[in-house]
Amino acid sequence: MSLAGSLMLGLVLAWVLGGSIWLLTTRRYRVTQSPRFAMDLLGFPVELAQSLFGRTGVPYALLLPNMLIFGLFTFTPMILNFYVSFTGGSSIILYDRPFVGLEKYADIFRCENYLIPKSCSNAGYNFFTGLYNTLLFVVIQVPIMCSVALVTALVVNRNIRGRGFWRAMFFYPVMLSPVVIANIWNWVLNRKGVLNASLDGAQGALNALAGASGFDMVVTVILAVVLIVVTERALRASNEPSLAWTAVFALIFVALVAWSNPASALGLKGSFLPGLGLAIVLLMIVSKGGRLARIALLVAAAACAAMLLSIQFSTVFDLGRYRPVNWLVTPNTGWPFFWLVFVFCWSHMGFYMLILLAGLQAIPHDLYEAAKMDATRPARAFRRITLPLIMPTLTVVVILSLIRSFQIFDEVYLLTGGGPGRETYMIVQNIYEVAFTDSQPDYGQAAAGSVLMAVVIAIFTFFQLWLTRRQSEL
Amino acid sequence: MSRVVTFLTRTRGRADTAERFGVSDVLAYGYLLFGVLIVLVPVLWTFFTSIKPERAVDNFDTRLLPYAQVEENIPGEGDKPVWIHTAPDGTEQEVFKAGPTRSITDVATLDAPAEVFGVPRDELSPKEEVRVATENYLDPLLKRNGQENFNFPVYLYNSVFVTVVATLITLLINAMAAFALSKYRFRGRLTFTVLIVATLLIPASIILVSLFFVVWSFGIFGSLWGVIIPAAATPTGVFLLRQYMLTIPDELLEAARMDAASEWRIFWRIILPLSLPALSVLAILSVIWRWNDFLWPLIVLISDPTQHTLQLGLTQFAGEFNTDFHYILAMTVVTLLPITLVFVWLQRFITTGIATTGLK
Repeated sequence: MSLAGSLMLGLVLAWVLGGSIWLLTTRRYRVTQSPRFAMDLLGFPVELAQSLFGRTGVPYALLLPNMLIFGLFTFTPMILNFYVSFTGGSSIILYDRPFVGLEKYADIFRCENYLIPKSCSNAGYNFFTGLYNTLLFVVIQVPIMCSVALVTALVVNRNIRGRGFWRAMFFYPVMLSPVVIANIWNWVLNRKGVLNASLDGAQGALNALAGASGFDMVVTVILAVVLIVVTERALRASNEPSLAWTAVFALIFVALVAWSNPASALGLKGSFLPGLGLAIVLLMIVSKGGRLARIALLVAAAACAAMLLSIQFSTVFDLGRYRPVNWLVTPNTGWPFFWLVFVFCWSHMGFYMLILLAGLQAIPHDLYEAAKMDATRPARAFRRITLPLIMPTLTVVVILSLIRSFQIFDEVYLLTGGGPGRETYMIVQNIYEVAFTDSQPDYGQAAAGSVLMAVVIAIFTFFQLWLTRRQSEL
Repeated sequence: MSRVVTFLTRTRGRADTAERFGVSDVLAYGYLLFGVLIVLVPVLWTFFTSIKPERAVDNFDTRLLPYAQVEENIPGEGDKPVWIHTAPDGTEQEVFKAGPTRSITDVATLDAPAEVFGVPRDELSPKEEVRVATENYLDPLLKRNGQENFNFPVYLYNSVFVTVVATLITLLINAMAAFALSKYRFRGRLTFTVLIVATLLIPASIILVSLFFVVWSFGIFGSLWGVIIPAAATPTGVFLLRQYMLTIPDELLEAARMDAASEWRIFWRIILPLSLPALSVLAILSVIWRWNDFLWPLIVLISDPTQHTLQLGLTQFAGEFNTDFHYILAMTVVTLLPITLVFVWLQRFITTGIATTGLK
């Protein structure tokens, strides 16, 4: 029998026998009170502590099981991690492990250039590849997820019908297990899966439409009418342009810029990102209000009209034959990484949205009513009331999601397995594989990797805390 | 006319204060609808695929309903899929293939299986019917057709055991710790609180390797207890419960002490029943965590198939039968079903509970 087994048996015996004897000698129970006896037996150590030390002993007895587990399974491993990282060999018994000092760390840091993992030793290559991929993932994923969660929370917090339903729907993926999520998305993203099939169908339909005669003119006229209506609506309000209509306008603007591709004159590859930037600038100007807002909107509208006339819609929408992409497997396309970010957001966004929603609902309503009295624009109310008051919650959300996405393992391991090549190889997978799947498990190496990872997480967390502290001082 | 428009676009609120259903509402509902589609379509698509027959799944049939080719028992030939032959003049007849598929395929009608004649391949189309492929579910669950590797009852038992036992232990010891931290003044209270906050900041994947050493030396490696015990004490749970217990008035405790109730009875009879709302939130959280746990069970339990949880079993199953998508998807649906039912049942409770009590 194992050490723990005999220990457990002894403990249970002492508990049940000793407790029964002690309880029966000190108290009287009728047969009908056996549930109460069972309850007393469960809390026998607490009762014992009370009778031995009085009430001062009770809290310690109450804390004991929880702190015992924390001590044994959280704090001890934390300290043990350092020790293991200084030992070598592949033995599981701690005193069989030879002390090797800093060798495991030196293995990792044996590099010519720390920014190029290929110039490192084998261990260093794996570690730094994992680290850089994880850092890239965190830097891309955390802002995206937090902003999506914030936007969703803001939308759900509006005066909408069926708020409970929307909230539940966005939270639902959080309940699903990573294995289920991976199987679902593996199926959707398969080369012949439903995503490729529907993209193929959509593209085919567009091609057929673009091939029809007069398509060009019809689209131009429709878009022109839409543009006129939207611009009129945005400018209609007597003093300042309406922000919501400007948002619709900005969507059309981005599409027009992407299609007419004015940036190609400057030799740039695509115009989507510059267009998006311009649209955001436009929205910011309009949210500030004033004379400039109307002028900016009118200039953008004129630009839209010019672009509309220059676009040949039949060529824009004639996309040719669709080639199915093997989303999770094709190397050097960035798609596996993109879908990882997407699936991670998909499965975790709901939780952070809930926290942010709770924060939003805690903001007192009178503030908005006072703002309304003063005829404050919604954008200004958002910047001056919502954002400062949601900031503490947002900080918590950012830190939680940061720690969470640093530890990403399940989704990657099950979706891409770190591939193609090492494109999505994350640091926890490195630790896991070094310690548990290699034929020669190198626990020292894995422990050294975890210590370094802990340092990186700590730096990030403190940096974030410092950043937000500065912000709240201002 | 304008009154009709006003009536149709009015939002909630009294008639005089209600705002019109403006473009920002359209944008909001559009966003929500789009988001819900992204959330639901993959899950529903998985479900609809899992009830399709094997052939449809292998051919990546993208129609929504589960179409299966009709099979008929032909005397002397056994079960054969039925095809519809459309002659150039538009007449249709039901045939089956009597030979391999070539540009001119040999077929015969169902009534006269012996009279084989050749038709062009592209004049044949499968005769289909809508049929729910229950065998996708029943084969692995009942271990038919060579599907003996997905030991569903064992996995389910392990998962339920881990979830239930771990949740009970978590609730009990976290409530005890929270009671001590919220209702007693004693030396070292701050130290204990800080220690628990510290565990909140230690990510589980950092201590993976050395936790493995600890669990190994306790001899619970490879058993379900190795999954249950290390995660039983959660800092989140302690804080959640402590926050709630602080709102329970001390007078109740004093009254009970007057009646000579022991501290343990106060805990069991007064504190626990009163903090039931917080306990149930923690119970839900704990069930989600334990049911969906993957990395630590993967390390502890992977070597012994009789100890696999549902998540591990599904992973192994999907890894072994990379091509049998119809079984994998069906078992995926089986795995997600319990948690989905719990969610549909307790949805309002879960979302409001987590929202009001905060952290993970």
